[in-house]
Amino acid sequence: MIEISNLTFRYREGAEPTVRDINLSIPDGTFVGITGAAGSGKSTLTYAINGIIPHCYPGDFYGSVTVDGLDTCEVSLTDISRLVGSVCQDIDSQMVSSVVEDEILYGLENFGVPKDEIEGRIQEALDAMGIVDLRDRSIAGLSGGQKQKVAVASVIALKPRVLVLDEPTAELDPASSVGVFRLLRSYARNFGTTVIVVEQKIALLSEFADQLLIVDNGAIVFRGTPPEVLAHSDELLEIGVNCPRSTSLVNRLRAHGLYNGPAVCNVPQAVEVCKEVLA
Amino acid sequence: MIEFKNVCASYDVEVPILKDVSFTINDGDFLAVVGTNGAGKSTTMRLVNGLLKPTAGEVLIDGVPTTQLKTSELARKVGFLFQNPDRQICCNTVREELMFGFKALGEEGSQAQARVDALIERFGFDPQAEPFLLNRGTRQLLALASIIALEPPVVVLDEPTTGLDFRECSKVMDIIAEMNARGTTVIMVCHDMEVVADYAKRVIAMTAGQVVADGPTFEVLRNRDVLARTHLLAPQIVDISLCLADECEPLRNTAVARANTLNEMTEAMTAAAQGEGSR
Amino acid sequence: MNGFLEYVPGDSFLHRMNPVAKLAAAFILVIACFATSNFVVLALVLVLDAVLAAQCKMVPQALGLAKAVAAFSLLLALIALLFTPRGDVLVQLPWGYIGTESVVAAVLVIVRLVACAVPLFLVFYVTKLNDMANAMVKQLRVPYKYAFAFTSTVRFIPVFMNDMVGIMEAQTARGVEFDGGLAKRIRLMVPLCVPLLVSSVRKTNSAAIAAEVRGFHLRTRQSGFKEYPFATRDYLALAASVVILVLAIVF
Repeated sequence: MIEISNLTFRYREGAEPTVRDINLSIPDGTFVGITGAAGSGKSTLTYAINGIIPHCYPGDFYGSVTVDGLDTCEVSLTDISRLVGSVCQDIDSQMVSSVVEDEILYGLENFGVPKDEIEGRIQEALDAMGIVDLRDRSIAGLSGGQKQKVAVASVIALKPRVLVLDEPTAELDPASSVGVFRLLRSYARNFGTTVIVVEQKIALLSEFADQLLIVDNGAIVFRGTPPEVLAHSDELLEIGVNCPRSTSLVNRLRAHGLYNGPAVCNVPQAVEVCKEVLA
Repeated sequence: MIEFKNVCASYDVEVPILKDVSFTINDGDFLAVVGTNGAGKSTTMRLVNGLLKPTAGEVLIDGVPTTQLKTSELARKVGFLFQNPDRQICCNTVREELMFGFKALGEEGSQAQARVDALIERFGFDPQAEPFLLNRGTRQLLALASIIALEPPVVVLDEPTTGLDFRECSKVMDIIAEMNARGTTVIMVCHDMEVVADYAKRVIAMTAGQVVADGPTFEVLRNRDVLARTHLLAPQIVDISLCLADECEPLRNTAVARANTLNEMTEAMTAAAQGEGSR
Repeated sequence: MNGFLEYVPGDSFLHRMNPVAKLAAAFILVIACFATSNFVVLALVLVLDAVLAAQCKMVPQALGLAKAVAAFSLLLALIALLFTPRGDVLVQLPWGYIGTESVVAAVLVIVRLVACAVPLFLVFYVTKLNDMANAMVKQLRVPYKYAFAFTSTVRFIPVFMNDMVGIMEAQTARGVEFDGGLAKRIRLMVPLCVPLLVSSVRKTNSAAIAAEVRGFHLRTRQSGFKEYPFATRDYLALAASVVILVLAIVF
């Protein structure tokens, strides 16, 4: 359970708060997708959950964030990290090792995972990301997409209660991006992991997330299931968030008076609506 | 005109990246090269501007092999926008950055100054701003502007929309489309099939270092066999259209089964629904 | 494509050796090379270098390195040639002469540097940095903080080199010609250090955060998953290097 109440944060060098008056509670096992225009405060919101603020960046922090009952301001970053696994936006700089296997081993060793479990966890993580063949490769020689998969693998190997990922598929091709989202959803469903993903690819978020959060100018402006949020396609467009094409199509059919059901968030649903319209 | 004639390329003798690739890009084309991570797209781009030389076959630019062209000659013919704008930006102000290309080519005359002024106006830059303090989207626009400042007849774009939000993405792509409309040849690598569908006129689909399909955008994107072989997903509207054609016999010869864009699909659906009603 | 100081996976004798033993053996060889002026001993080390390189399938890299070291030591060799007036006079110089012994000294400089550089570099190519750090922490009781600082420094070398190559490519594409003379190249490269510096500062900062959120502060000497026991091959290798050292000192 993540509880955020009245969170406002201003970076020391910023004139205005980057996030303001955030109130949010996320039950265990929820897959939350966050999106919004560049500079809207999405990443800062995730920093509040994984403890990077206030622990790494100085600034004014108001309100409180608790993860599983721990107040992130009161415990150390290390203690938050036991619960929350993070993948940051800048993939290159979050690598701590020179070889893929060691990158995955690093967190496992530090958090004291029993040694007889370690080999299994490494295999599982590499397998889940489809990078078993990269195990002995030097990280410096990998492509951006491969590094992104390694970064995700090194965090899921830790099996944290909460996963926070900032644009984890930016450099991945469509098929691999779907693979990552499918994997994240299975963690939420099968292990009750809370998954929080910041992403520009709205079509993926709409298809996989349980909850969508739309951030604009530091505040959460829309919140709900994908169909609830996507019903506001025009307002979303005004704040720089587009909709999946399947959603836009159905919204247009509604505007033409051909359909009056809820918004859809993926292709199969849109196909069903079209069939219904023509039936 | 750019010709690839039986091109093979590799970074390491033992690992060939491109295997016998041949195609021709005509002046004024808007070509998207699509495929999964590691299919050889970026390598193809690097061959176009001579950063990489083929190990067999040849790449000809206006009939001259890239191996015989000097860097400055190539830079004049082919502008290259890298995925990471930070590797390109190196000056202290936006204005200097835009002048950099002219300086490298030794043409800092009044004509160059005028062109830079026009670009600042058109992109809405602050000429004295420090490039590294700008946000990601603006840095990408700056990198693009400094490439098109030289008005090369061909521009190559390596994933121009990665990491950009919807508005920034539209802005970058609209500028590129406008350049294409004025005769610039555009070659881009892009993972976002919606962007490809919206802007490209022609698509080359690659997998494992080989060209699988080459043709008008929607001819390639509507080909389920090609999509499966290259692990690509069709743009959503195309996908809906293909599904409807598959699943509803009576729609097979209607506009719904041929619709590629949101507008076409909305129109086709409205027409079909009204046709149903009047019957 | 493998960059400078990037790990090359493999399964050779050298790959399987204990990291500490590898490093120690390499250092013993370095000392041996400097302790001797005997060409037979140096030739022995060179042969050993060649065998090791062949064993871990790194002959092209080793040759490239040997060439680079030889080119660098040419300068030192020239100094030795001009400023060690010994043996029979071959060429008279205003400040002395070049003698037969001077030629020998010059050749010695080159052979010595090449002979001792190869094993050191091979060690870096065939050892995962983490193994080296962990073994140092476990066996030599080096505090983890220092081991981490060491590996991070070495690890960033290929990252920065890749960055530099990327930046140079981006500028080449804008018409900057790097293939001119040395002075021109340096003049062109200086402004490019700005993006490199910016990206390095960003990287080191986020790398520190990344290490912290993955339990950097929890790490102790016992944390390491892998154990690095000394095997027979390690004692053999160390013994062999000591024999070479003794030979080097005796002859």
